[in-house]
Amino acid sequence: MLQRKSDLFFSALVAGALLICLMFMDAAISQRLDREFVQERREVVRVLTLTDLCLFTEARYTRHPSMADLHTPFQDHPLSFDHFPSGAIMAVPPHLKRKAGTLQGWISDPRERQ
Amino acid sequence: MGAIEKQRNILDFTLSSLGRRKGKNIALVVVYTFVIFLLASVLFFTHSLKKEASLILQDAPEMTVQRLLAGRQDLIPTHYIDTIRQIRGVQSVAPRLWGYYYDAMSGANYTLMVNAELNDRAGEIIIGNGVSMRSMSGIGNQALRKNDIIPFKTYDGSVLTLKVRGLLPFASELVTADLILVSEADFRTLFSIANDQATDLVLNVRNAKELSTIAAKITQIHPDTRPILREEILRTYDAVFDWRGGVIFMVLSGVFFAFIILAWDKATGLSAEEKREIGILKAIGWETSDILLMKFWEGSAVSIAAFFMGIFLAYLHIFLASSILFEPVLKGWSVLYPSFRLTPYISVYQIATLFFLTVIPYTVVTIVPSWRSATIDPDSVMRM
Amino acid sequence: MIRLQNVRKVFNADKSNEFVAIEGVNLSIDSHGATVLKGPSGSGKTTLLSILGCMARPTSGRIMLKEREITSLPERFLTEVRRETFGIVFQQFNLIKGITALENVMLPAYPNGEKHASLKKRAMDLLDLLNLTGKAFSKVEWLSGGEAQRIAIARALINNPAIIIADEPTAHLDTRLSREFMEIMRQLKKEGKTLLIASHDPIVYDSTVIDRIVEMRDGKIESSGDVP
Ligand SMILES: Nc1ncnc2c1ncn2[C@@H]1O[C@H](COP(=O)(O)OP(=O)(O)O)[C@@H](O)[C@H]1O
Ligand SMILES: [Mg+2]
Repeated sequence: MLQRKSDLFFSALVAGALLICLMFMDAAISQRLDREFVQERREVVRVLTLTDLCLFTEARYTRHPSMADLHTPFQDHPLSFDHFPSGAIMAVPPHLKRKAGTLQGWISDPRERQ
Repeated sequence: MGAIEKQRNILDFTLSSLGRRKGKNIALVVVYTFVIFLLASVLFFTHSLKKEASLILQDAPEMTVQRLLAGRQDLIPTHYIDTIRQIRGVQSVAPRLWGYYYDAMSGANYTLMVNAELNDRAGEIIIGNGVSMRSMSGIGNQALRKNDIIPFKTYDGSVLTLKVRGLLPFASELVTADLILVSEADFRTLFSIANDQATDLVLNVRNAKELSTIAAKITQIHPDTRPILREEILRTYDAVFDWRGGVIFMVLSGVFFAFIILAWDKATGLSAEEKREIGILKAIGWETSDILLMKFWEGSAVSIAAFFMGIFLAYLHIFLASSILFEPVLKGWSVLYPSFRLTPYISVYQIATLFFLTVIPYTVVTIVPSWRSATIDPDSVMRM
Repeated sequence: MIRLQNVRKVFNADKSNEFVAIEGVNLSIDSHGATVLKGPSGSGKTTLLSILGCMARPTSGRIMLKEREITSLPERFLTEVRRETFGIVFQQFNLIKGITALENVMLPAYPNGEKHASLKKRAMDLLDLLNLTGKAFSKVEWLSGGEAQRIAIARALINNPAIIIADEPTAHLDTRLSREFMEIMRQLKKEGKTLLIASHDPIVYDSTVIDRIVEMRDGKIESSGDVP
């Protein structure tokens, strides 16, 4: 049946597409199975008033990026921003780039600004 | 019907033709698969982490108020609570006491946090799973259990021993791995923090729409404070792992452009043999468009094969093998890190992005340089 | 069938190495005949064959194919005309290495969009006709010179062209194989094909298959006459 190379190729394409479909199915099933754990984590966050994921424990600004201030990474030395490897793979939290002293980002309606 | 048959015929020839330089083409597919694998791994990893963060941080404090002193975060006086509570729309204000504790023995950094439940149980702690695995008692690599005693060094060098009351749920490791919950009294003793000071304040408001107005009011009343909204926490995790920023993208684009150059070189450096073949095909009646069609299939076959394999391997890597290749980068210098299995969140958008980032450029790079060869005069073949 | 009117071909026009390869050629080729272009090396035979076979355009002059002016056809149509009307056997055979003999034979028909099964059958029939059935699935680089040429002939025939063009077909063959080649040509002529062969090999132009000899020298036709 599959004596033509193009047939083989198209079968491989279909197989690849099926593999992708399988991936999506696996993802859907895993999401379902993990739902209660997500719920549990969410509950822990609420009860303990947590603000960050515990991904990188090496530096304060990577352990609690949302609580860090823009200059924390610089406080030891002006060049120490990438002192820690994890600092290099994380981008600066957007709210830190808000201009100091302004409320830009909080207030969208200019009438509220005064 | 004829058009489809024509495509299949030309594809037949393309595949036969690719089969002739098996070693080279297999090597090419392998390298390309690896590039797509890396790209897809980063995409899957960051996307799932972002999704996870957005789900579980939904119940983070609505607003956190820090105090800044001389450019860095400092303890906040608890009398700020009273003035902030006066602001219209504020439902509740509570102080948080938390900080870091560096354990010289293991070299790990822990997050110490006061929990009200322990307030009438001074001397006891509840620890996260990562803490329990990383023994602080110096006994060895044994995991900490309930009722184990842990010595802490206080601010003045004396030792405070605390007893493990329990472990935080295993499933919460992604947020609690390095957490040690202590009573308020023990926390203040450890770090010598006065009773009228806290690390920061968390507050709830009656109407979430008023959050920014309230934040503005707080900075008006206390200009030395900095409010952080929950929305900003959520946005932090959206931005922090934005794969279009950061070093990972730099590395990946380096790899990717190196590959483009390789592909370009391969395609522009059409060998004399390949040029001769294009001439022959033209002389026996193939049109320029047929030659380009052949090159299209050549680029597609290589890149689609690599695409499917790369994506599939990336999925296995991230969601079944716990991102094992990223581990050194993620761990960095951390002594303590969470062990967690990411829930796979993938989207059609991601797959499409990868497709347009990889398959399309490669195919184009294969077709474009053959354009010149495809337009050679067929009579040159008469003299070859 | 084909008429050339005052055809001229200049290579590297307007450059210092300008070279006039064909000059003032008027030629008329009838259907079903066998014509030989005879002449010393460099006399313009190959150049004239490429013009006759729609592979190259003349610098000036007109070409009529079946009363249709094709000199000014766009490239795409010219290719189509070439594919449908001409089967070409190159001097160096020009088979594509690394793929099977059968695939080589089928190649010129691929852009037609013919059903694979029927195309394959036709190709096998042609190989059968040329005593090459056993070689269908061999890679072409393993074939001997004679076999390679017969594959090239099969390839030239796959689109069932009215005209077969062969450039110095016996240059790489010994006497026995050259005679065999002429026998194949005789067969094709009997089937109604028009043959156009460039050669300065007596085995070709003295063969009884040939109806007409066109003698060339320095890009011009010296004489043209029917074989008595
Ligand atoms: N592309 C070209 N550029 C310049 N000169 C050419 C080119 N092709 C052929 N010639 C010249 O045209 C002349 C005729 O060549 P050709 O038709 O191959 O002769 P023949 O086939 O009779 O040996 C030769 O002198 C050759 O050098
Ligand atoms: Mg010649």
